Amino acid sequence: MTFIVGPLFSGKRRVAMELLGCGEEALARRAVWDVQELAAARSDLEALAAELAAHEVVIATEVGGGVVPADPAQRMAREAAGRLNCLLAERADRVIRVFCGLPTVLKGAL
Amino acid sequence: MLTLVIGGAASGKSEYAERLVLHAGDGPRVYIATMEPFDEESLQRIEKHRRMRAGKGFQTLECYTDLASAQVPSGSTVLLECVSNLCANEVFSPAGSGDAAAQSILRGVEHLQRQCGELIVVSNDLASGGSLYEGDTLRYLEILGTVNQELAALADDVCEVVCGLPCWHKGGTRFADFS
Repeated sequence: MTFIVGPLFSGKRRVAMELLGCGEEALARRAVWDVQELAAARSDLEALAAELAAHEVVIATEVGGGVVPADPAQRMAREAAGRLNCLLAERADRVIRVFCGLPTVLKGAL
Repeated sequence: MLTLVIGGAASGKSEYAERLVLHAGDGPRVYIATMEPFDEESLQRIEKHRRMRAGKGFQTLECYTDLASAQVPSGSTVLLECVSNLCANEVFSPAGSGDAAAQSILRGVEHLQRQCGELIVVSNDLASGGSLYEGDTLRYLEILGTVNQELAALADDVCEVVCGLPCWHKGGTRFADFS
C-alpha cells in the first residue's frame, strides 16, 4: 500500500493517478481518499487502518496544522485523523508527501 | 526561467525571493505588486515591503488583476508578489475574473515568462492549517491550490521557505552556491 498525504488541494489524487498510471474512474476502484474523515467515527483505529491498507493507495489530507479547534468534536476528529495517519504510514510500503503537486518520498521509493 | 517560492505567513519567503532576484543578475528588476491598499494595515504592509526593496534597483509595477496586461522590459528579472493576493483579487474583486481566476493568473504568468529573463513568483501556503473551512474561503483555497500546483508544474525550481531557509521540492541546484 502507498500512503499519500499532504495539505488541502495540493494535488494528492493527481499524484496517485500518475503513480498508478490511471484515470479518475480507475482511481475510485484502486484508491481511497479523504480518509481523515473516517477516523472520528471509529473507536478502533488499528482495525480501520488495516481495512484501508487493503487498497493500493490510501490518501489523507493533513489536518493537524493550525490552531487546535475549540469545538471538542472537531478536536477529537483531528486527533483521530493524525493518529490514523501514523498507523497508515507504519503499514505502508511507501509514504509520499505532496506539496504543490510535487511528491516527496518519506518512506520507501518511487 | 521560472522559480516558485512558497511558504507560510512571515516565513521569510519575500526576503528569500529578493535574494534570488539579486542572484539572478544585474538586468532591469521589476517588482509586480498585487496588494490593493484598502486599509491602514495593508498600507503598513506595503510600506514594509517597500523598505525591504529599497536600494535594490526595483521598478515597481502595480497589478491587482489581469496579470496578462502587465508589460515588463525584455530580459528583465521580475518578482511577482504574491499569487495568493492576486488570486484573492481575481476571485473576490469586481474587476476580477471570478471562477476563471486560475486560468487568468496562469495566462498572466506565461505572458510574463515570454517577456522577461527570470521570473520569480511568490505564493502563500494557506492549505496547511487544517481543513475547517467552508463557502467562499474553501472555494478560494481550492482555486489557489490549483494555481500553486500548476505553477509548480511550470516552474524550473520550486522552493518552500521555512524560517527563512529554502527547502527545494524541485530543481534548486542553480541557486546552491548561495542557499
